[in-house]
Amino acid sequence: MPINTKTSGDGVELFLAGRVDGAMANELEVAVLEAIRGGTKTLYINMAEATFLCSAGLRVLLQYWRQMKGAGKQFIVTNPSPEVNSVLVMTGFREQMVEGGQR
Amino acid sequence: MNLVAECRLRNDPAESRQIEAWIQSFAETAHLTPAARSAFDHSLVEWITNVISYAFVEPGEHWIIVRFLTAPGQARIEVEDDGREFNPLNLPPVDTSTPLERRSIGGLGIHMVRQMMDSVEYRRTNGRNILTMTRRVE
Repeated sequence: MPINTKTSGDGVELFLAGRVDGAMANELEVAVLEAIRGGTKTLYINMAEATFLCSAGLRVLLQYWRQMKGAGKQFIVTNPSPEVNSVLVMTGFREQMVEGGQR
Repeated sequence: MNLVAECRLRNDPAESRQIEAWIQSFAETAHLTPAARSAFDHSLVEWITNVISYAFVEPGEHWIIVRFLTAPGQARIEVEDDGREFNPLNLPPVDTSTPLERRSIGGLGIHMVRQMMDSVEYRRTNGRNILTMTRRVE
């Protein structure tokens, strides 16, 4: 399933849908790199329609969350579906990576 | 344990796409709840990805065997490969309380398998790795 992109102001939002497996993780990395190259200050990863998140997807999230944070920018996962949310909780990613993750 | 299905896939990442259909069939046969179905789906994807990525040192075709089994109150998936010996249960547990800035990038797949299954067992038999993932079912 293609990754849709929406740009507004100095932020970019990527919309993931379906299974974020190894192949989709590669596509995500390409989309993230494109947004970073475009100079985005805030990158939102909208996972409302994602039904599955494997460790390859988690590795991409972690790698670019760190890179953007280190550059003084923001990388935020938004609206995780219940399936994705349980993975983010199970791996301890939710608190730091998801918008409102501490709640 | 009753063997309800046996499937094979090559050591090619594209072959992992078959897993979703296999799990759908297993879920129907074993009357898995959505939570159990999701747990087996996720665990099988993680382990197969690991095997395809790291088990085979030499290039070439290898076949991975996946067995689906049931018993009263239990469902199980067994994965067998002829790759190099690797017991994932020897990996140190992932500390999910470590801040992401200091987190190791590896080991998350095995961590999730262990979280989602009630038991995970490994054995090396006749030069083959066999990983058994079992979950209680209602």
